[in-house]
Amino acid sequence: MSALLEATEKALELLISGDEALWQIIAISFKVSGSAILIATPPALLIAFALAYLRFPGRRVLVSLFSTLLSVPAVVVGLTLYLLLSNRGPLGDWRLLFTQSAMVLGQIALAFPILVAMGHAALQSADKRAWETARTLGASPLRAFFVVIRETRFGLLAALLAAYGRIIAEVGASMMLGGNILNYTRNIPTAIALETSKGEFAQGIALGAILLLLAFTLNGLLHYVQGKGVQTS
Amino acid sequence: MTCRNIFVRIFSLFLLTLSALQFAVAQAGEPQQVIRLATTTSTDNSGLLQALLPYFEKGNGYKVHVIAVGTGKALRMGRDGDVDVVLVHARKAEDEFVREGFGERRFSVMYNDFVLVGPAGYPAGVRDSRDAGDAFRKIARHEALFISRSDDSGTHKKELGLWKKAGIKPEGKWYREAGQGMGKVLQMAGELSAYTLTDRGTWLAYREKLPLRIAFEGDPLLFNPYGIIAVNPEVHPHINHEGAMALIRWMTGKEGQARIAAFTLHGQQLFKPDAKADEVALLKP
Amino acid sequence: MKPEYHLQVSRLCKNHGRRLILNELEFSLPKGSCTLLTGENGAGKTTLLRILANLEKPDRGRLRLTEQPWQPWRKMRRTLQQRVMYLHQHPYMFNGTVEYNLRFALGSRVPQRDAEPLIGKAIRLIGMEAFRKTAARTLSGGERQRVALARAWLRSPQVMLLDEPTANLDYESRQRTLELLQRLRNDGMTLVIASHDPLHFEGLTEQRLHLQAGKIEAVALNMNPAAQPANVVSMRRDYA
Repeated sequence: MSALLEATEKALELLISGDEALWQIIAISFKVSGSAILIATPPALLIAFALAYLRFPGRRVLVSLFSTLLSVPAVVVGLTLYLLLSNRGPLGDWRLLFTQSAMVLGQIALAFPILVAMGHAALQSADKRAWETARTLGASPLRAFFVVIRETRFGLLAALLAAYGRIIAEVGASMMLGGNILNYTRNIPTAIALETSKGEFAQGIALGAILLLLAFTLNGLLHYVQGKGVQTS
Repeated sequence: MTCRNIFVRIFSLFLLTLSALQFAVAQAGEPQQVIRLATTTSTDNSGLLQALLPYFEKGNGYKVHVIAVGTGKALRMGRDGDVDVVLVHARKAEDEFVREGFGERRFSVMYNDFVLVGPAGYPAGVRDSRDAGDAFRKIARHEALFISRSDDSGTHKKELGLWKKAGIKPEGKWYREAGQGMGKVLQMAGELSAYTLTDRGTWLAYREKLPLRIAFEGDPLLFNPYGIIAVNPEVHPHINHEGAMALIRWMTGKEGQARIAAFTLHGQQLFKPDAKADEVALLKP
Repeated sequence: MKPEYHLQVSRLCKNHGRRLILNELEFSLPKGSCTLLTGENGAGKTTLLRILANLEKPDRGRLRLTEQPWQPWRKMRRTLQQRVMYLHQHPYMFNGTVEYNLRFALGSRVPQRDAEPLIGKAIRLIGMEAFRKTAARTLSGGERQRVALARAWLRSPQVMLLDEPTANLDYESRQRTLELLQRLRNDGMTLVIASHDPLHFEGLTEQRLHLQAGKIEAVALNMNPAAQPANVVSMRRDYA
């Protein structure tokens, strides 16, 4: 018990004193996961939209494929990408293994099914008349697309937050693809794994506290956003 | 109206935070010349590399990316050309790595030794062993809990070698195969009051946080030499061979060796510099 | 005097799977007229309106605009999209104020300076000046109907198609909607109203088209809106 208290005390000290190594790790986490989300969202939304609004052969297969991908463990995604990106793998020439780009790729792979599946659900539940009304009122297909996005924004934002929540806290794929390199690919989850294995619980707790805080914030936002969505629809 | 404003506010806040953090990250991660070094957890977790590498980087303009894994994984990364240079401690595997042509040449860098650690009561009378083989036999005979790394690391290979020397095939409920890094295994041993074999560097780094003691040490069999090997550029032309050689020159050179000797943890020297003059002579700058 | 036709439709066909919805339809819409479209549930009224508004594709058909040659349907789809406006039975309100909904119809290319007087005019047309800043989704069915009409009016279409515009409206809302439709027609807009309740629109409509079994069964053309068409009795039988 006293060991836990001591470590917690040290953790708070690290956080408050602005320990540079600690904040560097936090910044890397946000950078990598932020890039992944920013890159993954536009195509994922387009696919979700196509699945919800277009009728084409194989649509049902795709829908169930994406919901299956939802449950693929992060380590499997990590391993698959590792084998692809390794110098011996088919994409070895890209020289991406153990870089931030590899981590971003891994997190995109993890975020994508969530964005598509949850985005699809949100768009599916949207009123089909939104698209039609926009089109009859002279909107171009692109503008009508954005109208539908706007009308379902709370559901879509919930998808975004859920995806972000998953990848920012994900350790398996980041560890394998980034290699946990100090000041480069060491993010919050891999640092926690490392610090714990080293017995440096204080840093682990400090980083865990950040993740916890983030989870609370994201969840709070999610509830707020979903509440909004219910109110206005 | 209001709900729209709130939405816009939340969303722009979200994006702002993201982009602010993007730019807050120092670009230290992407310099011109990166050397990818695969090494064992023992060199990295002890803090040795963090103490050494900044001096090398400052003097040579390289940036070293350290990927700390078990020896087996580190050599595998070298084999696949996913790293430029490896720093490991498993002599047999290292020689094989060079013999098969994946590594160019092995250079001795330093050594530390392994110690057998266990709970303060020294169950099974391990403390009074004549040699390492005797200590291991006692553990097996009394079925005292023993935690094995079982992760194909240098330490794991060493441990298996010691069991073989002792003429014992370790198996049974007392022999736990953890599949984890050294630090993790030490913690497990502490929690379970078990014996385990550890390199002295990691032991010194963890000692104060653990209820364990050194149960046996000093047998020459427990000697633990570290070698550094550049990945063969003829097998993997894309690797940063120049950088790898620069790092090897520095580590085996005067400054690197002096810094290894000067590195201490809790007031104790962890590694003894061990570069061989005849090997170093082969390294033309 | 020969009436001037706004739209003439020929050989219009539409299948849903194996079911024949519209079978070689032939009809004309006189310019500035109001046409009542009747038929049982599932007779294809909505499908016909949606095809005319280019929300669905027909399988086949030809179309002729005032004083222009006949054209295959696919060549006319853009024209329909621009000139014909379709109003849902339950109009969709975008998440925003009444003003936002009206502004939407003008598109982003119309500058705010020009949009302002138009929106003001539209909102006066439906007598909802007080609701300008109200969230559109909180409005009643009748109010939404009127906002949708004003929104459609801002597109200045030449033809407006209304799907059951008075269904589920109370007496007062219905009267207001009818007054609005009257005004639009007087301004020269061609109207088509699909409805189960032909009686609601007496005095407004000049022409009735009755859809049955994929065909237009009864056509009564009367250029004098005050007079009753001859086949009103048969219509009422269908209605009952």
